[in-house]
Amino acid sequence: MQITIQSIIPEYFTPNSSEVWSKNFEFQPNSKYLVKAVSGSGKSSLFNFIYGLNNRFSGTILFNNTAIASLAESDWTTIRKEKISIVFQGLRLFPELTALENIQLKNVLTHHKSETDILKMMSQLDVDQLANKKAETLSYGQQQRVAIVRALCQPFKVLLLDEPFSHIDQAQITNAIKLVNQEVENNKATLIIASLGDTYNINYTKTLLL
Amino acid sequence: MIEQLLKKQVHKSQLLFFALSSSLGLAILLIVVQLFIDTQSIFNSKNDLLGNQNLIIYKDLGRDNAFTASEIETLNAQDFINKTGSFTHGTYRVLASVTFPNHAGISTEMFLEAVSDQFIDITNKDWKWKPGDKEVPIIIPKNYINLYNFGYAASSGLPQVNEKIIRQVPIDLTLTGTHYTQNYRAYILDASEKINSILVPESFLNYTNSKLSPNKEHKVSRIILDVINPSDPKLLEFLASKKYNYLSNDIQNSKLSYVLKLILSIVLGIGLLITILSIYLVITNINLLILKNKQTITQLHFLGYSKTQIAKVYHAIAYKILAISIVVALLLSIICKFIFSPYLSVLQVEHTLTSILYLIILSLFIFIGLALYYRKHTNSKIQQMISPNTSLLTTEN
Repeated sequence: MQITIQSIIPEYFTPNSSEVWSKNFEFQPNSKYLVKAVSGSGKSSLFNFIYGLNNRFSGTILFNNTAIASLAESDWTTIRKEKISIVFQGLRLFPELTALENIQLKNVLTHHKSETDILKMMSQLDVDQLANKKAETLSYGQQQRVAIVRALCQPFKVLLLDEPFSHIDQAQITNAIKLVNQEVENNKATLIIASLGDTYNINYTKTLLL
Repeated sequence: MIEQLLKKQVHKSQLLFFALSSSLGLAILLIVVQLFIDTQSIFNSKNDLLGNQNLIIYKDLGRDNAFTASEIETLNAQDFINKTGSFTHGTYRVLASVTFPNHAGISTEMFLEAVSDQFIDITNKDWKWKPGDKEVPIIIPKNYINLYNFGYAASSGLPQVNEKIIRQVPIDLTLTGTHYTQNYRAYILDASEKINSILVPESFLNYTNSKLSPNKEHKVSRIILDVINPSDPKLLEFLASKKYNYLSNDIQNSKLSYVLKLILSIVLGIGLLITILSIYLVITNINLLILKNKQTITQLHFLGYSKTQIAKVYHAIAYKILAISIVVALLLSIICKFIFSPYLSVLQVEHTLTSILYLIILSLFIFIGLALYYRKHTNSKIQQMISPNTSLLTTEN
């Protein structure tokens, strides 16, 4: 899926000049992008614009030549189930559910993975032993890994990761990137990572400074 | 799992309370509707008690107190009068004699009148007469039977009779007109509470009038009116302007009917008010639930759950509240029906189960109507929660 950005700019704050705001560019299919910026420059806003949570921007975003402003709510539901997956900066896990339930919440919607697959992914990120623990009892780093697994439980053409490894140690970051890369490859998808500065040793098609 | 998340702020006892409070309003509504249906027969114009939509008018006593044809026409032309019926009376003398076994016979002078069948509160297949028939049916006022039973029979040692037995008593009528005298065998067909006269079928009266006193013209001295509302001020004003008299009892009944209807309407209004308030209460409660779960709803939606999937959970809650309240209201109104039935039977209301059937149908309609309303409301509320820019997520920069 190609995402075309045409001179978008948020309406609720005035960002500094960057390679993203007020510029025209594309996120090409099968490519990897890093959006690098200091905090407060609008990384999450950009992701929210693309994910359809926020439309308070001027300019146009196109998914394969379709302006997202024209998408209906039901289109977004389909997109969020089949086309675009996201790990929010704030993770947005449900604290009262266990780690596995949080992941299953997405998976019962898409039926994309078997429970064995899910547990295998969890074990790759070393959170399988936490499967039946409530999300609220997990550390932020552990929650980040659960959120990553949840994001992978659906088919996608674009994977948006908003500072996904901020609280994870280097060894686990390596495991996570391995898993993410593998899934991106399987889905022949575009990966867009937002980061404060780390590049996580990924071979990006392009780095955008925000 | 989604249900578990979306219902986390729901307290069953609270929902039950809302269901019961809304059942109160609905129950009042259903009970009044049921009372309306059950008492319909007494408001009905065929009933003597409250449905008395007839008024008998007459002129002041005097030599010329008959109604002329043009006066009858004027009466018919009034829009508050549906139709008129003239009382015709026999233009001959009547001597009636009754012979009881083992008792001396009694005989009395009397009179005969006739009025159009549609004004008579008795429907009986024997209420007819044609020349050549052996017996003439007579309708007498009900209070005549009482007068006889508790006055005459008691003091003279004659047997008391009821309306059924009285039919068996043969009456010999001797009619003496200006030209001829004829004898007829008659019997009392029934007793009327409505018309205070001794009635025979119109055909009999017309026949005997023309036979016995062919030269006498018959006069209309009383007219029975079929009116929409006997206590209608316009009607009373009209009657007063024409100096027509009427029995105030007829009007009292109509006023009673009006007051009863008014009371039922007021109770219906209160029931409606309580129902509307309780619907508002349920709606507010659903709003509160949705608001309490705002974060969960938005997060689920952004995970890919559709509005329909989320709304379904709240629809189910609303339907349950509604179903419980309607079932409770229905049960309450059915119980009330059985509590009221002895009181209603005093008003000559027959005990039927028809009103229960109507109530069930009405309840179904209320359920469907309110369910659709709650559904629409819940959908729009959830739509508000999940529309872009309202999300808690957009606070991230």
